[in-house]
Amino acid sequence: MVDITDPKRTKQAASRRDFLKAGLLGGAAVAASAGVARAAGDPLITEIQDWNRYLGEGVDVAPYGKPSEFEANVVRRNVPWLTADPVSSINFTPLHELDGIITPNGLCFERHHGGTAVINPADHRLMINGLVDTPLVFTMEDLKRFPRENRVYFLECAANGGMEWRGSQLNGCQFTHGMIHCVVYTGVPLRYLLEEAGVKTNGKWLLAEGADAAAMTRSIPMEKALDDCLVAFKMNGEALRPEQGYPLRLCVPGWEGNMWVKWLRRLEVGDEPWAQREETSKYTDLLANGKARRHTWVMDVKSVITSPSPQAPVTHGKGPLVITGLAWSGNGTIKRVDVTLDGGRTWQTARLDGPSLPKALHRFYLDINWDGSELLLQSRAIDDQGLVQPTKNELRAARGENSIYHNNGIQTWHVNNDGVVENVEVS
Amino acid sequence: MLKFPKSAALAVLGLTALATPSLADGDAGAGEKVFKKCAACHAVGDGAKHKVGPELNDVFGRTAGSAEGYKYSNAMSEAGQGGLVWDAETLSTYLAKPKDMIKGTKMAFAGLKKDDDIANVLAYLKTFSQETAAAPAAVEAGETPVETADAGAAVEAAPAAEMVVEKSQGAFGLGRKAMPDEIAAWDIDVRPDGTGLPEGRGTVAEGEPIFVENCAVCHGDFGEGAGRWPVLAGGQDTLRNDRPEKTIGSYWPYLSTVFDYVRRAMPFGNARSLSDDDVYALTAYLMYLNDIVDDEEFELSKENFTSVRLPNEANFIPDDRLSEPHYAKGIEPCMSDCKPGPVKITARAQVIDVTPEGEGDENSGGGID
Ligand code: HEC
Ligand code: HEC
Repeated sequence: MVDITDPKRTKQAASRRDFLKAGLLGGAAVAASAGVARAAGDPLITEIQDWNRYLGEGVDVAPYGKPSEFEANVVRRNVPWLTADPVSSINFTPLHELDGIITPNGLCFERHHGGTAVINPADHRLMINGLVDTPLVFTMEDLKRFPRENRVYFLECAANGGMEWRGSQLNGCQFTHGMIHCVVYTGVPLRYLLEEAGVKTNGKWLLAEGADAAAMTRSIPMEKALDDCLVAFKMNGEALRPEQGYPLRLCVPGWEGNMWVKWLRRLEVGDEPWAQREETSKYTDLLANGKARRHTWVMDVKSVITSPSPQAPVTHGKGPLVITGLAWSGNGTIKRVDVTLDGGRTWQTARLDGPSLPKALHRFYLDINWDGSELLLQSRAIDDQGLVQPTKNELRAARGENSIYHNNGIQTWHVNNDGVVENVEVS
Repeated sequence: MLKFPKSAALAVLGLTALATPSLADGDAGAGEKVFKKCAACHAVGDGAKHKVGPELNDVFGRTAGSAEGYKYSNAMSEAGQGGLVWDAETLSTYLAKPKDMIKGTKMAFAGLKKDDDIANVLAYLKTFSQETAAAPAAVEAGETPVETADAGAAVEAAPAAEMVVEKSQGAFGLGRKAMPDEIAAWDIDVRPDGTGLPEGRGTVAEGEPIFVENCAVCHGDFGEGAGRWPVLAGGQDTLRNDRPEKTIGSYWPYLSTVFDYVRRAMPFGNARSLSDDDVYALTAYLMYLNDIVDDEEFELSKENFTSVRLPNEANFIPDDRLSEPHYAKGIEPCMSDCKPGPVKITARAQVIDVTPEGEGDENSGGGID
């Protein structure tokens, strides 16, 4: 079991503080009483360390490199009670441990409905059929001969935050917000493939289908398909990970993750949507009045503070504190992020740093001097359409508490005097 | 589907065919239907894996009990060690009465009664055995079913020769024209207006035993859901409740979705194993469990399918999120004195701690669906 509050970090920090205290006040005395002549100061500096004397491992020990052993805590985690079986389940990106805007491939959250399909790319086919002039079959080799594009996009599951509709439940932004990742995709614009087959004039919809045991399907309006969708085979420069749809996945930028069909094997052109299970039984948003919205594709403007957060408490005491987080919008770029320290009475505008790309994660920072008093931290994103991230109570007033999907409400973290952080809601 | 012209079939089957005249008449297309009786336990074709029984690619010429990675009964292994090799004759005998031929075989299958069925299923299995590829003349161009085209290494090189490969006419000239059988193999989606429904029919009464056998382990005998597996029935009039129960009867807008989804994805872990008639019968049975029909003799078919309407259809509305007050145009967010007095905490995660590392509470609210 992994302790999410990361006591290791707390302990290390504490022992370092203790050492410094001891070193300054009683260090000399200790050295003297032991009768050993020792330089005063941090032994990590004054004593020669193993890694400074002995040789490390040579190249090729790990032909495919892995993170440092000291980062073993930085892993995806799941919430076992959420689903009946791990082959139709979800795990979460450890947002609290990451920085910048790119998610490493091995940490991108997983959601599949029939396990991870294992497909040899030589055996993979992509078919286009339906209302087209010529139904076509492509091999992976064929697809790699079309002109390619590289694009950075976030992918967020529509159910991200779905557990929080009735109130704060999960203590960690990995669990409240971790159904999101952001990578650079390499692929072929879907438009080229559709044009190759020749879409008939009444072809207004596209059905994307996966080759996995769920044969995942979603209807996508042709306008979107021809706009910015990508048929991707690489993420962050390397082949898609098996759990992300190797060898081929659809990218539907800014729209809910379920539509980004993995193990993409078929695209059917039609004149009406198909009302598949994932767009009727699931991924429809039930309102308080019993009506349900369907085709709620766009992921709304949203943000969260990733540190401090329950899994990333403040361990250094008063003084300089980096508050950082992520903001994104399925509509385009993020124009501004505001942060409050007092639960929403007063706000200050945070600093966006790093690339600002449409439909990609944005990184923000607010650098403060913490006086050790309690904080009620929130962030509020505004996108380039002028849409402002709503509060959870505003969402509940408009929708009730049974929507499951599209919870983009403002998140509150309570930081106590000791730096311990908790997921809370405020008046 | 694939049909062997008689002369070509003889050429393929060679001497064996002469020894067992019934096989020479076998119709692989008809055999595919017979194979549905086997499919719960055996897989064939591209990527076929062992299921309850061993995969049956290249079974012609296989020593009995020798498929790698499969655990046979002692009886079957011994029969193989004793020299039993599968060919048209030995297979015919085995499939007629498995337990008579190999006492102690663990194949729990009574046998095929009709000689025709045996001949047909063997003709079908033959299309997944390498010998087929050795006689390409047997396969009419353009009629190769996908599974055959991909079944095994020997056939791998064959498609180019057998399929009439038409290049794409598009700007890049990449890819090739999809063949009708290929499209038929993958295009199984069904729309609310009935587009895509296959021929077939099934009654509530026929659906019940199929459901009990294939679905009830997870979904419960009455669709009530075993453990945390999905609930399929009930929940009528709960959509406005605190804990709505969204089922086919209470929530789903269209019956076509039931048919489409069960056919493509269920039973979980053995998708695409049901016949179209089975899926009609199961859909009828799910209607019955959801009080949409109350007659056990009700028969659902391609013909009457679209006359069925689900009760909640009218309650689905378009996405109108942007009409919500908080998204009103031109809102300038408040920067100071936005709330009166000190802000109070109204809810805390630790009170109901369900974070995985804490004490899990299976009854906690919400979900990801
Ligand atoms: C209820 C499950 C079940 C059904 C239905 C079934 N089989 Fe089997 N089959 C088995 C099992 C289990 C074995 C392994 C027998 C053993 O080890 O004794 C087997 C073995 C075989 C073998 C021997 C394979 C080898 O590698 O030696 C053949 C051939 C075969 N089955 C064909 C068929 C055909 C054709 C059908 C349909 C007409 C069929 N089976 C229906 C379970 C089944
Ligand atoms: C091994 C367990 C298992 C068996 C057996 C099984 N199912 Fe399922 N079923 C599931 C799971 C798991 C899901 C949800 C899959 C997902 O997450 O996408 C599901 C989903 C469904 C749904 C959609 C439910 C909803 O509310 O969206 C239907 C309908 C269904 N199954 C019907 C069937 C039928 C009919 C059978 C028998 C032919 C069957 N299932 C057999 C596990 C099972």
